[in-house]
Amino acid sequence: MIPPETTSKEPIEMSTGGGPPEQAEAAPDVAALGVREGPGHSIKVRNLHAYYGSQHAIKGIDLDFPANQVTAIIGPSGCGKSTMVRCINRMHEEIPGARAEGSITLDEVDVYATGVDVTSVRRLIGMVFQKPNPFPTMSIFDNVAAGLRLTGTRSDNLRERVHKSLRAVGLWGEVKSRLTEPGIGLSGGQQQRLCIARTIAVEPEVILMDEPCSALDPVATLKVEELIDELKERYTIVIVTHNMQQAARVADTTVFMLDGQVIEHAPTNDVFTRPKDERTERYVTGKFG
Amino acid sequence: MSVTGLGPVSARRRRIDQAMRGLLLAGTVIALIPLVLIIYYLLLKGLGQWTGSFFSSDPTGSFFGSPGGIRSAIFGSLEIVGLGMVIAIPIGIGVALYLTEYGRESWFGNLVRYFVDVMTGVPSIMFGLFIYIVLVLGHVGGAFTGWKASVALALLMLPIVVRSAEVVLLLVPSSLREAALALGAPRWRVVTRVVLPTALPGLVTGSLLAVARGMGETAPLLFTTAGALALTGNLGAQMNALPLQIYNDILSPRTALQNRAWGAALTLVAIVLIVNILARAVSRRSRMA
Amino acid sequence: MQETRHQFREALKDLERQTLEGLDMVTQQLDRALEAVSYQDVELASMVVGDDDRIDGRYLEVHQGVLSLLARQAPVAGDLRIVAALLHMIRCVERMGDQCVNIAKLVPLSGYEAPKDKGILDSIERMGTLARSQVTQAREAFSARNVELAQDLVRQDAEINQLNREIFRRAVEVGDDADVREWAMFMILVARCLERVGDNTVDIAEQVVFVVTGLFRELDGTQSPTRGGDGVVGLPG
Repeated sequence: MIPPETTSKEPIEMSTGGGPPEQAEAAPDVAALGVREGPGHSIKVRNLHAYYGSQHAIKGIDLDFPANQVTAIIGPSGCGKSTMVRCINRMHEEIPGARAEGSITLDEVDVYATGVDVTSVRRLIGMVFQKPNPFPTMSIFDNVAAGLRLTGTRSDNLRERVHKSLRAVGLWGEVKSRLTEPGIGLSGGQQQRLCIARTIAVEPEVILMDEPCSALDPVATLKVEELIDELKERYTIVIVTHNMQQAARVADTTVFMLDGQVIEHAPTNDVFTRPKDERTERYVTGKFG
Repeated sequence: MSVTGLGPVSARRRRIDQAMRGLLLAGTVIALIPLVLIIYYLLLKGLGQWTGSFFSSDPTGSFFGSPGGIRSAIFGSLEIVGLGMVIAIPIGIGVALYLTEYGRESWFGNLVRYFVDVMTGVPSIMFGLFIYIVLVLGHVGGAFTGWKASVALALLMLPIVVRSAEVVLLLVPSSLREAALALGAPRWRVVTRVVLPTALPGLVTGSLLAVARGMGETAPLLFTTAGALALTGNLGAQMNALPLQIYNDILSPRTALQNRAWGAALTLVAIVLIVNILARAVSRRSRMA
Repeated sequence: MQETRHQFREALKDLERQTLEGLDMVTQQLDRALEAVSYQDVELASMVVGDDDRIDGRYLEVHQGVLSLLARQAPVAGDLRIVAALLHMIRCVERMGDQCVNIAKLVPLSGYEAPKDKGILDSIERMGTLARSQVTQAREAFSARNVELAQDLVRQDAEINQLNREIFRRAVEVGDDADVREWAMFMILVARCLERVGDNTVDIAEQVVFVVTGLFRELDGTQSPTRGGDGVVGLPG
């Protein structure tokens, strides 16, 4: 069931960011990462509360993120979707004065249990951010390898892992001849895919995405969405988006949040054809937000 | 209905504009005059001193006969400031790192920042006096020595390094720190592998500017290393330095020595100029995402 | 302050109005077709045939409007269900218009003399009244999003079906007169057209339920109009 690697040769097109023209674009080939071991990984959030100082941002959330599925979180600005997602990989507490309470289990292990090493949580739960942020002093190769080097992972086959990650995100064809060039020389869409490659190089179990396409043009956005669809074979994905059409295209399940609480949590098809809650209906039809 | 809006500029406005321009130009010229005069005098009186023996021989110290060159002063300055750099720069960058990575909001961080700001305003003679009282009078490791001058200069350079380093470190986008943390890197690795390399050009620039400042200070040297005349590499002994040499020579009744002072002053200015140009070149080459 | 997506809301309301006006056109056509049948009015019948162009035109307008709304506004949830329902309904309107034309075309064929069997004619007129009331009720049900009213149409439709069978039976037994028999045959065809009109209004009723509940259920005669049951769950709000 492993799809063959497809490489489509396209004519050199004008790049849409600041980078040189793209050559020999390849479709994402997640199978390049090898056979996936074991069943997928799920996340369960129970009674999550999060605070910024005295401000109560997340007010008791219970959610399940099933294995190998894409779950989208939608809601108006300030509803707490980014905050909630950052609690999952414990990035929320990096903000001065911020704290979170409750339990979030990755396959039955609570990441908030006392004594848990927060860096290992983050290695298993990766994150892609809104604005592509490749490390400016590093080459393309070094960027992808950065995760492995920064976590002190001794790796004999570093080169192989980097190449596989680049293949998996469909960047290989475009960058294989310039791996030593700086990462920030790529176009916006390529940079974001580079960041995704960097994230999957450390072999996480879950990938969190905080509005990954907000800073990208429509073509780059579609490429990333296509990649997400491929990646879910292997990872559990949670994506925060303010673009409802994107949630409709990409997600298996959609969660609607308002004011720090979950209002509706249902298969995407249901949320967009017959939502149960009046507030969900009003939000998705654009009556507010 | 008449067509309004696209008429010519009124004569009155034009006069006012020209008057303002004239005023600004006059102010600039007035400000430049002393600078130009200084440079002119330096070149006029100092350039003639620049001979081979000027740079290759030490001051003789004798009242009659050849006054000698300023070799020991040049090397002495370089050595003293060099040691001062070695002390001030690592400590300074360390303090700046503390302030930006851990102490951004804490009361202690704010206290440190306040003291650093105060220190930048302290007259340089205070540093000389401080070291004089503590180290020289206390006969710690000898009386007047080169390394005590280095310590005094280090104290002087420290707040400059801290201030400029803090600014540069704050310019490193927090998105880079976030990306590294989200990959599962421990904080110290984030600092050494991501923050410092990204800020490096700016840190170098800031340090070079502190060095340029240190090279020109006279007062701290007066109390800590009463200038010897011979060229020496031993920082544990008395050492010569350019500002000291200039100070002594200018006060002397011998015109030959006074002329030498001009030559030394020009040399000092040239060295500082070179360091500044270096700092500019480094900062221009830097590229921050 | 203007509600968000003002243009979209207006466009959607317009589309609904156009569709419901289509239903009004059908009511008008039905009235005239039935009158033509009752009084053997050939001229009226040909007017009905000619006026069907208006209904066809309305169908194209609504169809285009739906496509435009889908392409440009990407409606979802309740709005999407309304748009889908309107497309379905305007097709029903067009079909009902065609049935009226079919009835009208039968008028000159059925002879220029007065109709022969009062019983059959009464039944046809009764069917016609029912069909007409079904069309107006369907319009009202959609306009008011009234599920009960929609489900009541099923009951009325059962009656129309019953009358249809009655007319057939009567026509079979109508007697020896060849002219009368021929007229009765045509009346069977008219009855069939009216029965089809009834079925279309039930289709519209199903759309009403779909728009309100989000679930699509075939409404047939076996469902009682008052049962809440499994078809009508998940009302928003």
